[in-house]
Amino acid sequence: MKNYFEHIQSGIPLDDIEIIDIHAHLGPCYNMHIPDNSAAAMIHNMDLCGIDKAVISTTISFDTDIVLGNNMMLEALDSFPGRLYGACSVNGNYPELSLTELERLFKRPEVVMIKVHPYETKCKIDDPRMERIYDFASARRLFILVHTWLDNDPYGNQDMFASVAKAYPQINWIMGHSGGPYGSVHAVEIAKKVPNVFLDTTLSMCPVQQIEYFVKEIGSERIIFGTDNPYLNPKIQVGRIALANITQKDRINIFSANAKRYINFA
Amino acid sequence: MEKIKFFDCNCQIGRVGYPHLLDVSKVNRLLEEMARAGIEEALVYHSVARYGHPPLGNQLLLDEIKGHDNLHPVWVLLPHHTGEMEPPENLMIKMKNNGIKAARVFPGRTFHGFSLDEWCLGDLLSALESVKMPLFLDIETVSWEEIYNLLIKHPNLPLIISNCSYRHNRYLYPLWDKFDHLYVETSWFMGAGTIEDIVKRFGSKRILFGTNLLRYTGTAAVALITYADISHADKVAIASINLERILNEVWR
Repeated sequence: MKNYFEHIQSGIPLDDIEIIDIHAHLGPCYNMHIPDNSAAAMIHNMDLCGIDKAVISTTISFDTDIVLGNNMMLEALDSFPGRLYGACSVNGNYPELSLTELERLFKRPEVVMIKVHPYETKCKIDDPRMERIYDFASARRLFILVHTWLDNDPYGNQDMFASVAKAYPQINWIMGHSGGPYGSVHAVEIAKKVPNVFLDTTLSMCPVQQIEYFVKEIGSERIIFGTDNPYLNPKIQVGRIALANITQKDRINIFSANAKRYINFA
Repeated sequence: MEKIKFFDCNCQIGRVGYPHLLDVSKVNRLLEEMARAGIEEALVYHSVARYGHPPLGNQLLLDEIKGHDNLHPVWVLLPHHTGEMEPPENLMIKMKNNGIKAARVFPGRTFHGFSLDEWCLGDLLSALESVKMPLFLDIETVSWEEIYNLLIKHPNLPLIISNCSYRHNRYLYPLWDKFDHLYVETSWFMGAGTIEDIVKRFGSKRILFGTNLLRYTGTAAVALITYADISHADKVAIASINLERILNEVWR
């Protein structure tokens, strides 16, 4: 194992450990300026810190047009095979269209997950219109990444997420952002009770000692590396996990082994 | 290449009522987290000064960081009219005697309950400006219109916007077109490519390294700078030189 402190201090990419980002995006977002939101810029940022692969979805697919957003995602996958993989966006307000999109996109082996954003779509995670989407995922034992934000999100807070995860045990549920910066304790409570729940490192406000706390409480096998690239800078997540006070085995689990255990990144 | 020196402009010690996660609040924990991230020096204020009462928190700060030469005290200030703090002239002497080189205020009804406008805070702002003491304003506590007005009225006051997020570029860029004395610290300024874009447009001198320890981790904040796609000289400037240049001007 290399000296990660020196790597981070010197700005040298981590090159002895595989890093897979399962929470990335693509393209513009209405409420922020992103200097370059292209797939090429994302790859450049990944290269600067040593991220090998990323699973992407677009915000456009949630807040405007699901088909347009998914097509942007597919175009990026075509441009960077072996580096970018897809999360098919779905929207409970369009249940039939979402199922059509799932059938269309999952014909592509590089589409490996589903992304749900209850807050942006204003469709609750437990809305009955989501059921056939979950049936699709359940039959294929897929990962679903859900945006969650503590208890002030009426569409997809942590408790709503937990109840849906319990109801669909065949699906691997990623609690996006692990419920936000104040949500860590409740995230751990849920992960202890619901074995098919995974915690996500993606966060802009990274609480001190959060990674160590997660590993201590639930082990490292259900913590998944994510960044929000190109909205958030992916380098911050590499830095905090590389320098976290955890074992190298834990780091390997978080950075890529957990994702690879369930997802075929062929 | 020589290690970049990191001088953190945004640290807080002391317990808070609503922590993000763990009870990590003492000076020794700050020093541990700084060491883990490779941060050598820090400007520090006290949670009691922010969430309790500034005079009490400011004194606790001095007591708790005493003997740690790499930790530099930042006082949280109030306007003097209620008698809770000395009038600006006397306050400046007291601050100088205690080695204070930076200040914070938390205006607004839901924070310390006073106005940032001239009729309320003007005398204090002018006093800080006269000694070129940098003022930190937490973006939670002010509007961008208030920031614009302050920048116009106090052209020699270094103003550092703290906890500015990656969603604020559209406010910041037009202000940076107009004002040289506006800075942003990086603890929540985590947009992909943003550091690079700002350096390209405005140079690196407007950006100051910050972590928001002991709430956020310092390791993420350091990686934001070391992995930035900018020159080594720009990284060094952001990590410490810009802040040191501002602090060297205070009390001169």
